Amino acid sequence: MVTSANIDVTLTLFARTTFLPLATSFVEKSALALGLEEGDALTLTLAAEEIFAYLCRTGAPERPVLMRCRGGGYFVETEFLFQPQEFDMRAFNLAVTPSLDTGQGIDETGLLIASRMVDRFHFASHDNGLRVSLTKERAYPAPPDLTTAVTRPLERFSIASPEPEELKELVRLIHSYYKGHVLPGNFDFPGKVADMAAARAYQAFVARDDAGHIGGGIIWGFPTQKTVGCSGPYVFGQPQSSVMARELIDECIGAVAKTQAVGIINRFPTEHLPVGYFERLGTLTVETSSGRYTEMPVLYRHLQEDPGATVWAHPLLKDFLEREYNRMVFARDIKSIRDEGEIRSQFSVISAEFDKLQAVVTLRPVWWGDDAQETLARDVEILENDGIHAIFFEMDLGRPWHSRFSPALEKTGFQPRLILPNCGKGDIVVFQHGTESN
Amino acid sequence: MQVALDRLLPEYIKKFEAYTPSKPDAELMKLYGCSRLIRLNNNENPLGPPPASQEVLRRFPPEKAAQYPSGDAFYLRRKLAERFDKDPDQFLVGNGANEVIAFVIKAFCRQGDNIITADKTFAVYEWVATFSGLEARLVPLKDHGFDDQAMLDRIDERTKVLFVCNPNNPTGRYWNRARLRRFLDLVDGRQIVVVDEAYCEFVEQPDFPDGMKLIEEYPNLVVFRTFSKMYGLAGLRIGYLAGSEELVAAIRRTCIVYSVNTLAQESASAAVNQDDHVMRTRRMVNEGKSFLTRELARLGLPCIGGEGNFLMVRLPMSDTLAYRSLMKQGVMVRSMTGFRFPNHIRVTVSTAQAMEAFIEALTTTLKAHEIP
Repeated sequence: MVTSANIDVTLTLFARTTFLPLATSFVEKSALALGLEEGDALTLTLAAEEIFAYLCRTGAPERPVLMRCRGGGYFVETEFLFQPQEFDMRAFNLAVTPSLDTGQGIDETGLLIASRMVDRFHFASHDNGLRVSLTKERAYPAPPDLTTAVTRPLERFSIASPEPEELKELVRLIHSYYKGHVLPGNFDFPGKVADMAAARAYQAFVARDDAGHIGGGIIWGFPTQKTVGCSGPYVFGQPQSSVMARELIDECIGAVAKTQAVGIINRFPTEHLPVGYFERLGTLTVETSSGRYTEMPVLYRHLQEDPGATVWAHPLLKDFLEREYNRMVFARDIKSIRDEGEIRSQFSVISAEFDKLQAVVTLRPVWWGDDAQETLARDVEILENDGIHAIFFEMDLGRPWHSRFSPALEKTGFQPRLILPNCGKGDIVVFQHGTESN
Repeated sequence: MQVALDRLLPEYIKKFEAYTPSKPDAELMKLYGCSRLIRLNNNENPLGPPPASQEVLRRFPPEKAAQYPSGDAFYLRRKLAERFDKDPDQFLVGNGANEVIAFVIKAFCRQGDNIITADKTFAVYEWVATFSGLEARLVPLKDHGFDDQAMLDRIDERTKVLFVCNPNNPTGRYWNRARLRRFLDLVDGRQIVVVDEAYCEFVEQPDFPDGMKLIEEYPNLVVFRTFSKMYGLAGLRIGYLAGSEELVAAIRRTCIVYSVNTLAQESASAAVNQDDHVMRTRRMVNEGKSFLTRELARLGLPCIGGEGNFLMVRLPMSDTLAYRSLMKQGVMVRSMTGFRFPNHIRVTVSTAQAMEAFIEALTTTLKAHEIP
């Protein structure tokens, strides 16, 4: 079957307004060719137009921008790649100060406007420069019979990778047997899960008998190159539920043990998760469907022998790090960063990753400067005004300058919640805004 | 200037995760804050090399380091030939057994070919195949041993080499003489069969097959052996393969000469006939295993054991967490998630003192991370 998964189309052009029609036409035609419906392709095009126009306003006209449209089967992504030194870096914050623009108060940037139109928005620095990416997912119909699937007790079972139809059946069984559980949003659409599996965004195992009856399953993906995100294990009224659950977890770990991932995060554990497999990293505050806030545990399993490491931290973070490293038994030499009168940048830049489907924004440092606190405060204000309350900040302790954001984070209401070991250049500390850590 | 890595790197290399070896002991001790480090992670021999090899090491004249070694381990191959009643040309010596794995794969495989081995065994067969752009077909173990029939079932016209680790690292299970013969008979010369006997010197079972003796009957058989385990020369990196003259002559085409240093060659030559050392080591391993199995049973921990100087232990906790906790106490084991055995550790059977220290540290670890 020919699919649009993993097809790339690229265009290199200058950040000049005369090229705007070319840029928008490229995105629209590519999105349609890569499988988006007309309406979704138009939305992606408008978001891309906003970004390109923004680049034209903030960069020199002779600077090249690489545009790439990528079909992932269940989504189309448009990305812009460019060199940071050729653009005014300050313009890449979500909001800009009045001194940069002519208006009063906080001005929204094109980045923020574009982010509202798509399902995922990501602006970050990467090895070859800066990258803005816009993702629009295909729309999937919600099946009417999502919670009615049944299966039977299996006398014997084996663990296997499911065929697409089996995977859809697994998703329906999960909804049927785990009513009231918090499930990944994608599971509301079995067709989407099947497409995500075809695009290798999801992988799964089912426990089935020789006749093909499914007794349980587990689903996982790679949210980043270094982490596996798994949910489950799911076991559907089976007589040997603990045996089945353990085999599913064993096989899942075996399948990812030799990949580039350093750890598995399980944010959707079930009561069938066997004890002794995962460690508790901490909790994050999440909003339930009823609008209440609850603490959700984040479970973690390290996949490698930890070699120990040096991490860089601001003294403000030292107590938290010592407590957590001691609790999780990670050998770390914590080195303090300090200000010794060196020349400092006046401005800071913070990237943002929006996940509109989950109503989550993750901020990451791109550049540190004296106005870090003001920049963070503006970002939070504008996000909260937009109705986004799940705001995270990820600090990489392998990059000493990241830790300079610590005082600004504390003053703007962020708390350190958990550590993701070895998930960046070093360990990553996840801060959450507006919550009290446990 | 930027290197166009994206264009230069083959896809199979981009996807391959490089192995990160442990930091040096001193660095680990500093990071983990421990005053000792008992190494039970690499199945090394705590008795060290045999006395004759130790003598070679002591007497090695420093000025000899300025000269290239024998390019093809001339004297060592002679010594091996005498010991195993073969021709020196039936041996190829490499910089550890890892290097001879690469010799074999390079000699027989090209793009589109595949090798077959087990999913839970010594990882280097799979690694070398994968980063050479070849398919590694991994057959699940059966009762913790290699599944001969399933391996035979996976053979197709592009299968070139079958790797059998006998006894298997890390489960210690082995194929007996009859089973290995049956396997070789069924392969019938259509593929190369590699039998990795890295731990054979530890095996005392009467039905354990001696690959060296089968070489004359099966011209497609390659036997791997090493001086890193029983002979305590892991730090010098030296291992070898043996096979029929015709087969070894073919593999020699991909062999990197001069890769094995003089000290390693001379120490290994001295080790070949040191049977007393073998007996002493076996005695230590037998005593250590008895102690370990008894103590692990007392702690309620199931063991997967068999032949070799190691035991695998199933833990009621994550093995990677246990690794960190044991390291804090100065005991280094191998966590087995990377071998696809989650929640298992592999422990080298060592001296009584080391085994006692391990049990004490493990007891502390289990208490500290007790599941309510």
